[in-house]
Amino acid sequence: MINAFLTRLRFLVFRRPSGDLDEELQFHVEQSIEAKIAAGMTAQEARRQALIEFGGVERTREQCHEQRPGWWMGTVAQDVRYAMRGFRRNPVFTIAVIATLAVGIGATTAVFSVVDRILFRSLPYAHDDRLVSFGLSQSLEKQEFTLGGFFYEWRDNQKPFESVTFERGVSTCNLTETNPVHLNCGEVAWNFLPTLGISPALGRNFLPEEDLPNGAKVALISDGLWLSRYNRDPGVLDKTIYLDEHPVRVIGVLPKDFEMPRLQPTDIITPAAMDVAAQHTVNSGIGYPMWAFALLKPGVSVQEAKAEMEPLFRHTQEWIPAQFRQEFHLQVRSIRDRQMQEAYRAAWILLGAVFAVLLISCANVASLFSARGAARRRELAVRSALGAGRGRLVRQTLTEAFLLALGGGAAGCALAAILLRTFIAIAPTGIPFLAQARLDLRIVSFTVVLSMLCAILFGILPALEKPRADALAARQTNFGAHARLQRALVAAQIAISVVLLSGASLLVKSFWNLEQQSLGMQTHGALTVQIPLSWQRYPNGQAYLDFFLRAEAALQRLPGVTAVGMSDSLPPDGNSWHDGGRYAEMVVAGKPPTPAGVGGTVVARSVTPGYFRVLQIPIVQGRGFAEEDRAGSRDYMILSKLLAARMFPGGDAIGQHIQIPRYRPYYALDGPVYTVVGVAGNVQNAGLSGEDEPEYYTLRRNHAEIWNGHCMLVLETALPTSVIAPWVRSQIAQLDSLAPVEIEPLDQTVSKLADRPRFETALLGFFAFCGLLMAVIGLYGVIAFMVAQRTQEIGVRMALGATRWDILRLIASEGIRLIVLGGIAGLAAAVVSAELLKSLLYNVGPHDPATYAAVALLLAFVALAATLIPARAAMRVEPVVALRCE
Amino acid sequence: MPPSTDLLQGTLDLLVLQTLAAGPMHGWGVAQRIQQVSKDVLQIGQGSLYPALHRLEYKGWIQADWGSSGNNRRAKFYALTDAGRKRLETELDTWERLSAAVELVLGRIPGAEA
Repeated sequence: MINAFLTRLRFLVFRRPSGDLDEELQFHVEQSIEAKIAAGMTAQEARRQALIEFGGVERTREQCHEQRPGWWMGTVAQDVRYAMRGFRRNPVFTIAVIATLAVGIGATTAVFSVVDRILFRSLPYAHDDRLVSFGLSQSLEKQEFTLGGFFYEWRDNQKPFESVTFERGVSTCNLTETNPVHLNCGEVAWNFLPTLGISPALGRNFLPEEDLPNGAKVALISDGLWLSRYNRDPGVLDKTIYLDEHPVRVIGVLPKDFEMPRLQPTDIITPAAMDVAAQHTVNSGIGYPMWAFALLKPGVSVQEAKAEMEPLFRHTQEWIPAQFRQEFHLQVRSIRDRQMQEAYRAAWILLGAVFAVLLISCANVASLFSARGAARRRELAVRSALGAGRGRLVRQTLTEAFLLALGGGAAGCALAAILLRTFIAIAPTGIPFLAQARLDLRIVSFTVVLSMLCAILFGILPALEKPRADALAARQTNFGAHARLQRALVAAQIAISVVLLSGASLLVKSFWNLEQQSLGMQTHGALTVQIPLSWQRYPNGQAYLDFFLRAEAALQRLPGVTAVGMSDSLPPDGNSWHDGGRYAEMVVAGKPPTPAGVGGTVVARSVTPGYFRVLQIPIVQGRGFAEEDRAGSRDYMILSKLLAARMFPGGDAIGQHIQIPRYRPYYALDGPVYTVVGVAGNVQNAGLSGEDEPEYYTLRRNHAEIWNGHCMLVLETALPTSVIAPWVRSQIAQLDSLAPVEIEPLDQTVSKLADRPRFETALLGFFAFCGLLMAVIGLYGVIAFMVAQRTQEIGVRMALGATRWDILRLIASEGIRLIVLGGIAGLAAAVVSAELLKSLLYNVGPHDPATYAAVALLLAFVALAATLIPARAAMRVEPVVALRCE
Repeated sequence: MPPSTDLLQGTLDLLVLQTLAAGPMHGWGVAQRIQQVSKDVLQIGQGSLYPALHRLEYKGWIQADWGSSGNNRRAKFYALTDAGRKRLETELDTWERLSAAVELVLGRIPGAEA
């Protein structure tokens, strides 16, 4: 067996010299002659007879050659050479196929590489499919969370989970050593890592005793911090670092792919060290907020787990005062679902768009090959007549398809790499994992194989038909069956590109609306300065008040700064932290309370008078806050126009008294009473595309109780950021050299909010452009091919008296039929699929008639052009030339 | 010259292997030998002989070496390999079964007629 194999291998590798065979045959003839002479023939006659008997040598030679194992590989080289010659002869076809394949393969691969991380990636946790996030949700916080008072009760009595853990959120902390840095520190339970299935890359996990209120202070650091701060020195283990000026021992390093289940950026994790008993007393007896995660027991589904948790949930509900119980719901869902909420839809839309492009490109390749196949019938018939077997013809076609797929695949990979880089460069930071997206080899091979199949299927059809002798004689190739298929393909391409185009146009229009809308404030020339102070060094409101007043004064003195304001949060982002409450809980003196659940939520900001000046928010009624009010003891309030109109439809807002409840943690009506002094213009406050929420401003008085870490400064300045930023930093450093300063123009903050729609619009627009381009190329190809096929017919028609206009009509009507057919089918499909885009659209409906009209017009225009170019060529056919070309 | 008989498909391999079983031989020798032994019934033309020899060689059943013929002329001699010998045995078995079956069908075997 092995022997036989080796023998074959030997012959495969070492070709025998071709002279050998000739010598062998020569010997045979000589022996034959000798034998005949011996039998009594004359030498001449013997030679003649021997040669006659011997017959043709060439055939023998060829047959001997064909015995060689793997001899057919030689024909592959021949096929390749032949194919290359063919490509050179027909560069338009070649370039069209390779470009089509490249765009199809490149776009699909790049997009899939991106969405794969979002939709299908495996989480960096062992048993990632069994991990869930569970907790309470309510109208002010729809993402599930839990509270210490509930969590331990749940943990001790639950059945569906193998293990239950929590994190207490990630907050900013400072590494207070030489070269202080601002970091993100997470607090977790000791079994947090084991439950998620994470092992430290270096060192060990927390011990249960370190997770006790007075346990040893230890920490695990992230791989990023290990690299940037300690240059991956293993000596970091057992090192003592200072977090907010407290010594903490490093006991381990987290793995490189570590991420918190809620995806917060994290540099350091420490044990939460919760006082379990205290959870029933602190925070009005419901405990501190936390976020719980659990590992399902094997075989338990998320739904089953939720059903099993329901009794426990109802039990702990009893601890919540009756009037709030309705508000809370139990939520159990996979960590993946929790992470990907918004990215899901965009990812699916992207994937859909790119598959549409892939479909178009396949259809294009198919129709190009099919057209070429029809045109080559005669050639195939000739080759067949010259002795090429059918196998050989099929192999030839396969070789061509393979070569083109190879070329297209290579170009596609290059394009994919470029596209992926572009995506990452222009993508907003909010899209998870985009930066880690890599080209996916599986999908490269998938798309290459798919497009190859398209090419082979449609390329091989003509080769499979037994070439008939009449194809040689035929003056005109048969156009029928192929043409029908091609037309169907072109109509389908047009339809798909209409879907893409309408989707893209809707997004473009929506994005335009988004960019053009008035925010209700001036962002240009406004600079935000954030100074995250550590609570250890600023233990109370008075400390914050002192610091920020000094900071305000220092910044006001800077040249070029015309106004300084302070606030606890800034519009228009609705997702970043801001204060707020429920409309129904605001109590207007002398008015009956609003029934619970009416009016939705209200945004609240605590601001200084300068805030309105810097952001140029107009006061439309009454007055703004005055500088001298800050030192006073009265609590003033300014309502947004929206809130004023809702609360005081009669327009009598000024002078009213409104009491705002405090949450501790349920609302209690013991808060201050505010006097309304003015009504301000509406400001976009729920993101760029969200519905504006009613808003009120309270005066940030110089009163310690109002002040805490939620404070930022806004400057009005005409100077560029690069000039003013160092001055700001040096001013703050004079006040507190350890305080990190973050400076950003408000313009930029707002523009970042538009990153995501910009990204989605750009991508879908790009795909729509690709799709349209390819569909138009396909249409052009089919019409041009048809004209070439029908040149003689056109000649005859003209000779019989048809005018050039008749010819133009004949050819153009063919194209127009396809455009109308594909266009109508596409518009119908677009209207249906636009529903998917609904949530991404701003101020434009999914069935915006103007958009569809524009798409239809654009398509008609471009497609008509693609038809008229070859149709004009047909019109110019000279009857004499056409008839002569027979 | 008696009319040549068409060889059954695959029989040529058997004939060549059987002939070479007697000892190494060059192509001409093989053809002559088959012709002699079959009393001129089987005449193997070079057009089928050499492709067959090459095929057998590629399969490793025979091996070729250059040697000198009787009149000191350089010639390629083919010899049976061990694998070839085994192959010959199986081919012979196959042939016997085949010919017996053909005989049966033709009703030549006494007793089978009844």
